[in-house]
Amino acid sequence: MRMNPAREAYTTVQRTALVCGLLLLGLLVTFVIASTFGSQRLPLSASLCALTGKSDCGLSPEQQAILFDLRVPRILLAGAVGMCLAAAGAGYQALLRNPLAEPYLLGVSNGAAVGTMAALVFFGTHEWSRPLLAFAGALAATFVVYRLARGHTGASPERLILAGVIVTTFLSSAIVFITTLMDATRIRSFTFWLLGDLSGTTTSLLSIAFIAAAIGVAVLVINARGLNLMMLGERDAFDLGVEVSRVRLTVFVAASLLVGASVASSGSVGYVGLVVPHLVRLSFGSDNRLVLPAAAIAGAIFVIVADTVARTVIAPRELPVGAITALIGAPLFIYLLKR
Amino acid sequence: MLEAKDITINYGDRTAVANVSLLPQAGEITIIIGPNGAGKSTLLRALNGSVTPSRGEITLDGRSIFSYARRAVARRIAVVAQEADLRFPITVMEFVLGGRYALSGAWGWESEKDIAVARRVLRETELEGFEHRLMNELSGGERQRAVLARALATEANVYLLDEPTANLDLAHQATMLRLIRQRCKSEKCAAVVVTHDLNLGAEFADRVMLLKDGRVQSTGTPREVLTPDLLGKVFNLEVLVDAHPRTSAPRITPVYPEG
Repeated sequence: MRMNPAREAYTTVQRTALVCGLLLLGLLVTFVIASTFGSQRLPLSASLCALTGKSDCGLSPEQQAILFDLRVPRILLAGAVGMCLAAAGAGYQALLRNPLAEPYLLGVSNGAAVGTMAALVFFGTHEWSRPLLAFAGALAATFVVYRLARGHTGASPERLILAGVIVTTFLSSAIVFITTLMDATRIRSFTFWLLGDLSGTTTSLLSIAFIAAAIGVAVLVINARGLNLMMLGERDAFDLGVEVSRVRLTVFVAASLLVGASVASSGSVGYVGLVVPHLVRLSFGSDNRLVLPAAAIAGAIFVIVADTVARTVIAPRELPVGAITALIGAPLFIYLLKR
Repeated sequence: MLEAKDITINYGDRTAVANVSLLPQAGEITIIIGPNGAGKSTLLRALNGSVTPSRGEITLDGRSIFSYARRAVARRIAVVAQEADLRFPITVMEFVLGGRYALSGAWGWESEKDIAVARRVLRETELEGFEHRLMNELSGGERQRAVLARALATEANVYLLDEPTANLDLAHQATMLRLIRQRCKSEKCAAVVVTHDLNLGAEFADRVMLLKDGRVQSTGTPREVLTPDLLGKVFNLEVLVDAHPRTSAPRITPVYPEG
């Protein structure tokens, strides 16, 4: 089912470049507009002026500080997180041949969350340990879900989701257990973080998220052609010349890296990996050479918009961004499941 | 060329294929027939290197098939298996272009030649004009032709086909096998076809291999193998064999027990 009746018979490099170019333009516009929203509205023209690096744009020093110290890092992080989660979702879906596969629903995000929390509790002073253990946690959860879902007849979509539920609930209790080891003052901020919180970033976590996004998305895109065939079944792909086990391992590791980096910096933002690749496929077809990069850019837009909503609807108070993405994602999940 | 040398394949303590040798000849169609569970599909999958024999060897141009990269095997051997798993909407053209993967690289885009080959095989399989259609909107027969089109798009020199005509109507069955035969004759390719349709096999086969319980019962020309005695023994059913009035190929008519 595709909304676009005049669909292309196949995807070309020109079409991919065009789609990604337009999405990048959209991302830029979203970035600028999002930077003006918040508990204090900033004038659009002045913000745009300041963002281009000019000095006398008519922003007060306080507005200047809001823009560059609070909003820009946060929007950058939202973009990186969206990129990571949407690309990882598209990768898992192609690999597991399941449009419902999503880091949050598979329990991979929870695996990364357990890793992050373990890092906080045991290596609190070493910031680098958070993304590292988050990656390890995501990778471990990915392999467990994959093994659980793979029956004698291969992984059915329902079996995969059930495996995800089992892993998620198991890891949730691990999270509760680790939480009890923390002191009471930190618990509230953790509950918030678990639902996806973009407010507490640092420069180093932001850079790690961007590096991971770049590496992860690049690795996925390089394997996109193999993934196109693996979407039709591993046996078919093997017959057509794909080194199936190598592609599988590479994609698992890359997707886990993306989820790990995103969770370490912002907690578990759910449903991004479900909503965004689905909309991209609906609009542009299923060729992963287009879907993966386009989903990464569209994911950035989606999370930036969701976070802008999260920090404005009940301003000056904020919602966790994960609450907004879940509000959009859960109904779509039900729709996909019923189809 | 491809060769199976005295291979045995075990699944646990069950022997699926026992001591089978097969050397498909360039320009010829070899048909593998036999009852359900005879090991036909397993043998076919082993020929492609998908199943590792416990004994014996599969060689491609004199070297073990396992010493090649998958891409190199796929450039030489094309497989038509049972239907693909279509959980994502993909167009017929995208599907058929999958056959060019081994030729045009893991990374990158299809060349103009790839597109031209895809269009040609779509024409040959009577799917011209279907380029934009989605695979999961096709009928069973159309989809099966698309699967064959993808195999032909590989331009391999060995074709392994598992029940390629199972979902096709009478006319399309003949069209597909004629297409495979033409490809074999003109490009000096070899085809190995697993089928349950003995009459279709008799018409198009140069050689027939009859399997039961993983063992070769007989191998030879259709006339040598498709005899009432052999078929009756292997299928446990009385069959009559006469000659097709036009082509004089063996014609098999089962005699169903009454009651």
